[in-house]
Amino acid sequence: MRLPAIFLSVALAPAAFAQKLEFNRDIRPILSDKCFKCHGPDAKNAKSEYRLDTFGHATAEIDGVRGIVPGKPQDSEVHWRIHSTDASDIMPPPESKMSLTPAEIAILDRWIEEGAEYQEHWSFVPVPEKVEVPQVESDWIRNEIDAFVLTTLQEKGFSPSPETSREKWLRRVSFDLAGLPPTVEELDAFLADTSPDAYEKAVDRLLASDACAERLAAEWLDVARYSDSYGYQVDGNRTVWPWRDWVIRAFKENLSYDQFIVWQLAGDLLPDATRDQKLATAFNRLHPQNVEGGSIPEEFRVEYVADRVHTYGTAFLGLTMECSRCHDHKYDPVTAKDYYRLFAYFANIDEAGLYSFFTPSVPTPTLWLPDPKQEEDIARLEGEISRLERELAKRAEAAKPAFEQWLAAHPGPVTIPAPAAAFSFDANEKNTFANLVEGDPAKTSPNNRVVPGQVGNAVQLTGDDAVTLPVGNFSRDQPFSVSLWMNTPDHKERAVVFSRSKAWTDAASRGYELLLEDGKLVAALVHYEPGNALRVKAKEEFPVGSWRHVALAYDGSSRAAGLRLYLDGKPVAVEIVRDKLTRGIEGGGSDTIVIGERMRDSGFKNGLVDEFRVYEHTLSPAEVAALSANSETLSPDLAHYLTHTDPDYKDLLSKILTKRQERGALVEKIQEIMVMEEFDGEPRQSYLLERGGYQNRGEPVSPGTPAFLPPPPADAPANRLGLARWTVSPANPLTARVTVNRYWQRLFLNGLVATPEDFGSQGRLPTHPELLDWLARDFVEHGWDLKRLLKQIVLSSTYRQSSDVPSGEVASADPENTLLYRYPVAVLPAEMLRDNVLAASGLLVQQLGGNSVSPYDIAHAFKPSPPSKGRLLYRRSLYTYMRQTAPSPLMITLNASKRDVCQVKIERADSPLQGLVMLNSPQFAEAARTLAATLAEKHGADDRGVIDDAFRRLASRLPDDREREVLLKLLASETEHFSTRAEDAKALLSIGDSPPCQTDHPARVAAVATLISTLMNFDECISKR
Amino acid sequence: MTRDSPPFPTRRETLACFGGGLGSIALASLLGKTEAAASTVPPHLTGRPKAKRVIYLFQSGGPSQMDLFDYKPRLNVEQGQELPESVRMGQRLTGMSGNQASLPLVGSPFQFKQHGESGTWMSELLPHTARIADEITVVRSMHTDAINHGPGVTFMQTGSQIGGRPSIGSWLSYGLGSANQNLPCFVVLVTKDMTGQPLVSRLWGSGFLPGKHDGVRFQPARDAVLYLNNPGGLDRSSRRRMLDALGDLHRMQIGKSGDDTLETRIAQYEMGFRMQSSIPEATDLSDEPESTFRLYGEDARTPGTYAANCVMARRLAERGVQFIQLYHQDWDHHGGLPGGLKRKCKETDQASAALVIDLKQRGLLDDTLVVWGGEFGRTNYCQGKFNANSFGRDHHPKCFSIWMAGGGVKAGHTHGITDDYCYNIADGAVHVHDFHATLLHLLGIDHERLTFQYQGRHFRLTDVHGHVVKDILA
Repeated sequence: MRLPAIFLSVALAPAAFAQKLEFNRDIRPILSDKCFKCHGPDAKNAKSEYRLDTFGHATAEIDGVRGIVPGKPQDSEVHWRIHSTDASDIMPPPESKMSLTPAEIAILDRWIEEGAEYQEHWSFVPVPEKVEVPQVESDWIRNEIDAFVLTTLQEKGFSPSPETSREKWLRRVSFDLAGLPPTVEELDAFLADTSPDAYEKAVDRLLASDACAERLAAEWLDVARYSDSYGYQVDGNRTVWPWRDWVIRAFKENLSYDQFIVWQLAGDLLPDATRDQKLATAFNRLHPQNVEGGSIPEEFRVEYVADRVHTYGTAFLGLTMECSRCHDHKYDPVTAKDYYRLFAYFANIDEAGLYSFFTPSVPTPTLWLPDPKQEEDIARLEGEISRLERELAKRAEAAKPAFEQWLAAHPGPVTIPAPAAAFSFDANEKNTFANLVEGDPAKTSPNNRVVPGQVGNAVQLTGDDAVTLPVGNFSRDQPFSVSLWMNTPDHKERAVVFSRSKAWTDAASRGYELLLEDGKLVAALVHYEPGNALRVKAKEEFPVGSWRHVALAYDGSSRAAGLRLYLDGKPVAVEIVRDKLTRGIEGGGSDTIVIGERMRDSGFKNGLVDEFRVYEHTLSPAEVAALSANSETLSPDLAHYLTHTDPDYKDLLSKILTKRQERGALVEKIQEIMVMEEFDGEPRQSYLLERGGYQNRGEPVSPGTPAFLPPPPADAPANRLGLARWTVSPANPLTARVTVNRYWQRLFLNGLVATPEDFGSQGRLPTHPELLDWLARDFVEHGWDLKRLLKQIVLSSTYRQSSDVPSGEVASADPENTLLYRYPVAVLPAEMLRDNVLAASGLLVQQLGGNSVSPYDIAHAFKPSPPSKGRLLYRRSLYTYMRQTAPSPLMITLNASKRDVCQVKIERADSPLQGLVMLNSPQFAEAARTLAATLAEKHGADDRGVIDDAFRRLASRLPDDREREVLLKLLASETEHFSTRAEDAKALLSIGDSPPCQTDHPARVAAVATLISTLMNFDECISKR
Repeated sequence: MTRDSPPFPTRRETLACFGGGLGSIALASLLGKTEAAASTVPPHLTGRPKAKRVIYLFQSGGPSQMDLFDYKPRLNVEQGQELPESVRMGQRLTGMSGNQASLPLVGSPFQFKQHGESGTWMSELLPHTARIADEITVVRSMHTDAINHGPGVTFMQTGSQIGGRPSIGSWLSYGLGSANQNLPCFVVLVTKDMTGQPLVSRLWGSGFLPGKHDGVRFQPARDAVLYLNNPGGLDRSSRRRMLDALGDLHRMQIGKSGDDTLETRIAQYEMGFRMQSSIPEATDLSDEPESTFRLYGEDARTPGTYAANCVMARRLAERGVQFIQLYHQDWDHHGGLPGGLKRKCKETDQASAALVIDLKQRGLLDDTLVVWGGEFGRTNYCQGKFNANSFGRDHHPKCFSIWMAGGGVKAGHTHGITDDYCYNIADGAVHVHDFHATLLHLLGIDHERLTFQYQGRHFRLTDVHGHVVKDILA
């Protein structure tokens, strides 16, 4: 519910009309809502050149008319326009459907009369160095928070509510800090503790618990739009839970909140970044990602970066960036340029717009998460490989005399070992081409024609039809080479000459390939395009319209230097486009070389190919020269000798191959996660995208913070680290306010600013601006210590108030409780509703971190998957498998976040489906029957004992007499009911995966189960009250 | 809602409406159950609804317009020739055919005829729909911004290509509330066990609106709605006593705490209890006469088929459900179009037509809007190699066909013209936003005024666009 601020000030403070009007409180909301759309900061798209967003603009003379003449409504055009009855004059115009109310018109008139003073928007003003705590004498005050709250209450003539009971406070604080109910033992201990610091001890215990870290993490998962799948339509699984476990660790260790922010935004850029610091940046990769066939990668890459900007804006600055994606913000001073300068910070990573459909590769850039053993093994193997490589180089040098000797005896011509396959395409025989060596023929579509070639005939490719060879499934560790003659009929923007890979974007190009790109030869070995690949590109364009010999020779080193291109027998000068290949290139399908086309890629249309040979060694320069000359008159070279003749060198080569393969097998098993990592080449240029369209590139932009906020220091790096440090710097007026406000909201249902996602001019004004500033200042002064902040709040008298609606005027004057005259009741979030019954029944399995799990209801998700088994069914809800297109239906029914976008506030509402879930679902029904068995065993036929115990476990207090009466009646009727229905009782007591209750009194236990199920839906069980 | 309209009565929202959004206030005030906070009609209601409910037969995947509704003989004449660049004009293609070396035109292999007094063109694949030619308006000039399924379906259903916005049904739940105390006001029926492009539950999600405006999917299972039935061993009498006790506890709690929001909670539990009988009653087709199955086809006997869902849609409409969203999948004929399209039409044609006939017979068609259509059209050129029996068409956003019936749209009308190549729209273009604006208009809602403030912005189903298509209004 969004009451306009003006309504509140009128309703609560009739005195406001005696006071002078205040721009931020009284005027901005009206202008923002009714005027800024056309007369606001978005000058470019506004229908009028007149602007009302600053004093300067509002009072400027345009064509001899002044919109506002301070102090003189009669001379102000605005006055006349808002009073006009002429449809063509009146403002706002009728078609805008945003008419002013008479009260608003009166306020605007008075404001002009009082001088039309403007104020800078409150949240853009720096947090004051020192915020005075109001001096107010009262026993009620426990800490500074209370002084602010009480002062405001007293100003309105109201007083706070009485203190709540100890039981209720403990239940509240247990959920707020740990997300779980207090146990009966904790309750007893707290009630028995009469020491003055009993409350503080309880808080300290809770804050130190693992459960607290989990509870804080659960909340952050909503902000971070965490999910275990990629989202969009295909919505494949992704492994990002190691990031979630880092969040839990960070809260467990109480990492200072500014560092919590810096690590997530730019941990990879910190000096000597640790693995955790890099891991934290996965925060920026948790947006949905697409793989739908035929999608345009750039469209989605832009979408991903935009999501990072929106999440950054909402989570840290409390600003709605989305509007500025298409135009300057209509209400706030965020320009489109500001937007795209932020965009530029988040764009500079080596990522693809689509993830791979045909392979399970993790989208680049990634961080490896080896276990300690893997880490050790990898280090050992890397060491051995480097050593062998050094020996190999030495041997190459040392072998020169032997080579000279050998050469004298073998002057030439150079003899090249037989290829693994060779084709001359001289004739199409039943859609095959003969293999010149032993082996299967190549297959071709009849559409590819046989035409005169370099030698005999050649194949002419349609660009849509394949010639499929029987060989070519090389690993990155194996040396291999390809030699061919080719002739391109025209300049190719992009054409696949040949490849070993299933598809382009759909397989992230996994494999190897020879392309013409911008008319130039490109060779690549790819694990995941673009971030995990070797790619070299010729500097010169490939000649058009003549036969040329091309060779690709690779040495198995996983280095770009080991991937050579030759043209007409001579090495090609290349630019190294990528030099980072750390994982395998096999797999994804299409396990052999295909000439002329690739799935959803541009084929070699009308291109000619002849004399295609595949070798299982690195062709030496002399060998390539010999092949290109098409004669074998050339002398062998050193490389030829080493590879084929020198025994020591050959021995080393085979040892290296073994070690590399060992490394490959090990690497394959190491888990990876998407993270941020600055692209180490030329930074990616970002542009202002006109109307937000990915194709509409406007002016180039460089990274920078929004111009309307204080800038970072001049020497700050223009990268994410600069942004991160600026975000938590004293210059930033928003971050600390936004943070304390969000945590306030978690404890008090609403934030001091009721729109935690919007601190701009369309957001709500703070109900207690000074308190917000004081909290923000205090938080920063004390090292952004989150647990300290939480402790401060929960120990305040404000938090300790009763939640009962007080009689008297205040409740009707302020139904929203913006004045905090009582503790605000809140139904528990979905996670806590489920965890609560698991904890109370004793089923909860407390285990920190690990893979996500699937409770029963995942079997009923829109895309069902089988539930987990045993213990995994009873883990806390933050570990529940979150698939974006098919989230847990139980959690969604209970109002959990859908996690598709950053969410800092969840709109919750009652629906009948919630009751069905909490009464009927196996998760809840099993919890009820499990607790029933315990209580029936413990209390036997003692109805009162059962009821009191159950009530205490589920509502943290004893029932009063009337409540007990109702429950006694229910228990009696159900005991009676089940006494003649043994089968029903048995069925009820077998629900769920845990073993059925073993009892001699099934009717009794079943009756208790219905009692407990009822209590599990009782207000004080499901609400913080 | 704009700031000067009445706020949500959060504390006093005791109407126990399932939809219970803005519209519950509207409804309350229209029914004279006025509350202090709801003394005026919300500004988005025009007070002139033609339709009271919608049945949206969504054909997911992109049905081929030039093989069903949009007759283009020229494509047959020029079959095999390249798509002229003068027609394509640089329009972006999907990555599936965008890199194809050749884009040959292909005509429809199906016979077209004009039907009814209106003379509406339809192909031989739609013999049953042909029988209702004089009841429907065919819009041949739909167009969209999306070229792939995920964004395309999301755009049709939420007005945005990117997820996170409320779906049409959620907007209606929020804007109109519910007239029904026993059933959800937004129900989703998905054809069971279909392959094809995956649907996602977000499509009927409430986005940033409160979760209660989510569409509720009815499934052909023991629990038509998630956990509708009592756990095994617990009968209805026990449940009644449990809810009585719970109600007593909650009423005592109201007395103690003064918190009257608990009245809503009590009402929600009671409605859940009623739904436990009303949903099985509504979804059980066993009381349907034989004539129903003759009308809708034998398929309708099998729960979860499109035909059964059409019967279900009529039953829900009769019981006052406001937005009934059907999905039928697998219209995505990149290849094997001649056979695939035949199969899809066989699965849907009879039941779609039957629904319109049935509604008319029952006097429900006048105030029920039926919509049939997908997320985009298909290309006039062949994807991959041409083969008369197995050719396919890629996605095409620049024109596609849908039809609408009842609820205030013209009967026996065809709107919009595409060019001879079925590539661009020649006249009467209807953008997705226009379609949404028109749909809301028919329900008596001003699409520019049905707004929700979220993240500092007033969001609409139609974003900042949309014009009511007057030509199709009856």
